[in-house]
Amino acid sequence: MSALSLGGLTWHPYSRSEPTLHHLDLEIPAGQRVLLAGASGSGKSTVLRALAGLLDEETGELIGTAPGPSRPGERGLLLQNPTDALVAATVGREAAFGPENAALRREEIQARVTAALEAALVDLDADRAPLEASGGQQQRLALAGSLALEPSALLLDEPTSMLDEDTASAVRASILAAAQGRTLVVAEHRLTPWLEHVDRLVVLGAQGRIIADGPPRETVAALVGDPAAPAGQHAAGPAGPVVAALHAVSAERGGRPVLEGVDLALRGGELTVITGPSGSGKTTLLRTLLGLTAPTAGSVERPEPAQIAFVPQNPEHSFVASSVRAEVLASPWASDEQLADLLLERAGLTALAGANPHTLSGGEQRRLAIIAALAQEPSLLVLDEPTVGLDTARHAAVLELLEGARREGRAILAATHDAVLIAHADREHALAGPAVRSAQRSPSPDRTIGPVPRSRTIPADALNPLVLCLIGILAAIGSFAVQTWQGGLLALLPIVLLAPLAIRSLRGGLLRLAPILLSAAGLAWTTALLGDAPSLSGEAWLLGAKEAARITVFVAPGVLALGSVDPTALGDALGGRLRAPARVVAASVAGLIRAGHLGRQWEIITHARMLRGLGSRTSPRMLAGATLALLVDALRGAQQQALAMDSRGFATARTRTWALPSPLRRADLLGVAIALGLAVWPWLAQLLVG
Amino acid sequence: MTRFRTVDLLVTVTIGAAFGVAFLGYGQLYTLIGPLTTAFKPAEGLLAGVWFLPALLAALIVRKPGAALLAEMIAAVLSMLLGSQWGWGTAISGLMQGGGVELAFLLFRYRRFTLPVAILGGLFSAVLEWGWEKFAYYQEMSWAFSFAMLGFFLLSGALLCGVLGWAATRALAATGALDAMPVGRERAQQARATATGSAAHSAPTAKDDARA
Repeated sequence: MSALSLGGLTWHPYSRSEPTLHHLDLEIPAGQRVLLAGASGSGKSTVLRALAGLLDEETGELIGTAPGPSRPGERGLLLQNPTDALVAATVGREAAFGPENAALRREEIQARVTAALEAALVDLDADRAPLEASGGQQQRLALAGSLALEPSALLLDEPTSMLDEDTASAVRASILAAAQGRTLVVAEHRLTPWLEHVDRLVVLGAQGRIIADGPPRETVAALVGDPAAPAGQHAAGPAGPVVAALHAVSAERGGRPVLEGVDLALRGGELTVITGPSGSGKTTLLRTLLGLTAPTAGSVERPEPAQIAFVPQNPEHSFVASSVRAEVLASPWASDEQLADLLLERAGLTALAGANPHTLSGGEQRRLAIIAALAQEPSLLVLDEPTVGLDTARHAAVLELLEGARREGRAILAATHDAVLIAHADREHALAGPAVRSAQRSPSPDRTIGPVPRSRTIPADALNPLVLCLIGILAAIGSFAVQTWQGGLLALLPIVLLAPLAIRSLRGGLLRLAPILLSAAGLAWTTALLGDAPSLSGEAWLLGAKEAARITVFVAPGVLALGSVDPTALGDALGGRLRAPARVVAASVAGLIRAGHLGRQWEIITHARMLRGLGSRTSPRMLAGATLALLVDALRGAQQQALAMDSRGFATARTRTWALPSPLRRADLLGVAIALGLAVWPWLAQLLVG
Repeated sequence: MTRFRTVDLLVTVTIGAAFGVAFLGYGQLYTLIGPLTTAFKPAEGLLAGVWFLPALLAALIVRKPGAALLAEMIAAVLSMLLGSQWGWGTAISGLMQGGGVELAFLLFRYRRFTLPVAILGGLFSAVLEWGWEKFAYYQEMSWAFSFAMLGFFLLSGALLCGVLGWAATRALAATGALDAMPVGRERAQQARATATGSAAHSAPTAKDDARA
């Protein structure tokens, strides 16, 4: 075990006018448990990165010393948002990522993965998808990902701030158990739950200056109060009329029933909170109320669109303007400039009116999104987790804005797991955790690393991804032999015969083939119209038919075969078998796996905009703005992910191992034969028809 | 500076993946305007530039050899896996489009990342992609129409890829999301220079709270 130390460390990112850390000295003896506190922006995250040896001197100036880890993964780093850390398609591969980077052998990787998943109390089977897991499970999995490299120090950046109370304490217990015999540094806003478990409390002021350092109890007593609930003295006025309501509403998410017979009435001048563990349907309830999800039963009563304002969990998802003031007035339903200035004043954002909304701090962004919603003067204000991740001062500012909206007689609905906000509410609607979810948790989960599971196995799945690629490529080359429509039809024959081997379901197959057939028809038409033959003559149509057959022969085998290629197995083949550059392959696989996550973000972003009245799904301006917002979100995520990956030894993983082999079996011989056949057959067919 | 940091790799891959997702939507746009383009197919070239954007954005943001090609290939492979109607042709398109942008920046030895070079990248991609499509998809289209199509490709490459991509990079840099990248650093330094210039006489105020 090693001690951690920072000596006279000044860190000045090139993008900032001031250093984020100024001459910081911090010595942490091996095995000590340290709680790192301080307001947002005091540099806690930067200190953790410095301790992890992950300050990148291409992005800033480093003075002083911040000795890095002695080996890759010696210091594990956990981020606030565990989703950012995920790189793999299965739980097993996620935990295996670090050991792969350390180029361990397969048996050793499996042993490390089993031990790490056990130690972090991950209660999911190894073949489950991490991105589908709940926040608490993801954070435990991230912990397992670090433990698999047997770190001597664990560095945690607000590891429980995005979790509900019960889940947070369970994750905290996992962390403390895993930290036995290791050095532990936790950065947190909420100190109380950690105090009795740590040896030392370090409180940071501006630019990482240490303003208090000592035994936890004594040190915390010297501070101006732990974030206890700000006394929310709220005189309940007479409740207003019902603004929106759910009547016996049931709704599904992804085909799974999550809400059943929910009754809810939202009155003007009342703050209602929806609570419940993750997966209990909070989001589905909000979506149903907002009209984004149709209820399967019951009815929803809501004001007209201009009277509804929505603030998404990540405020950046709703931002459209290039200045703070323009953002407040961006919705066509918000036109009162005086009100905008008043709201800016109330949110303490007047001085930042000209700044780009995306450059604001987390707390400022949250306030901006709320006043932009209030500028619509809505009768119904809906917020998704409006206080998550805020420190005491910023938390209070958000509550004050909501308090103002309540006094103005607006109906407010917030999905939240924040005890303080819940205490502030007039009404709490608690959703029970679904019974289904517990069934997915295994008491003794399977830890064996295996391939990504498929919904239904088909013959094509037996082939190595490289062979599946070869089939598509050789068939495409073969298609250039097609010179006549008769030759084209003959060339199509084996493809039609083999297609059933590569179609997983009728619907999926049609979805894959329909675009091909449509574009083939389009090409036939274009050729008949714009070819050298007289437009739309019989001769031109035959030429068109030949082109349609040729393009189908060109495309269809590849599209069908690719249906059995999954990014993880492709990565194993390219990296493990073909020895393609390991870092590029591994990063690409991680990117492809996150594409599904990006698709979900895209939905959230476009919905947030439509709810602000900023255009329909097909307006080019809306698409451009949403693309920009998606890129901002994805690029911020990519930077967090890079940190998480480097803390698991990826920076130096020029040679790495792959947890699963990419075997070439007997079936692959047959696959190669099919590929060669598809390449040669069109030429033969052409000879046959002369 | 040609070494890819992890963050360079991930930013490149992420740009590719984000566009791979967004392309599903743009692909539908092709179907939507189908009735218009079936009358005069070459006009479809007007949309072409959008497909080159991941390459250009990656080159302008990451500024390292190979970034453009990798981002475009990721976008291509992702759309192939999701079932693009062009199958393996998509991979060749990715090669052509990424290669075109890459070539423009290579000509300037990866030292100039200005609007003219961005437009040149769009033009190169347009020529290469047109050549591939002529060979693979429009063999039977008469040369007159084919050259009309090339014209539309070039126009689109210059505007929808070159100009739009350059503007999008600036918009992204202005959000602070690129602060770890050279382009973000440049933007921040410029912003600071103008801020200290204009605010030289006003007293320095407390910096806002949490930009960490």
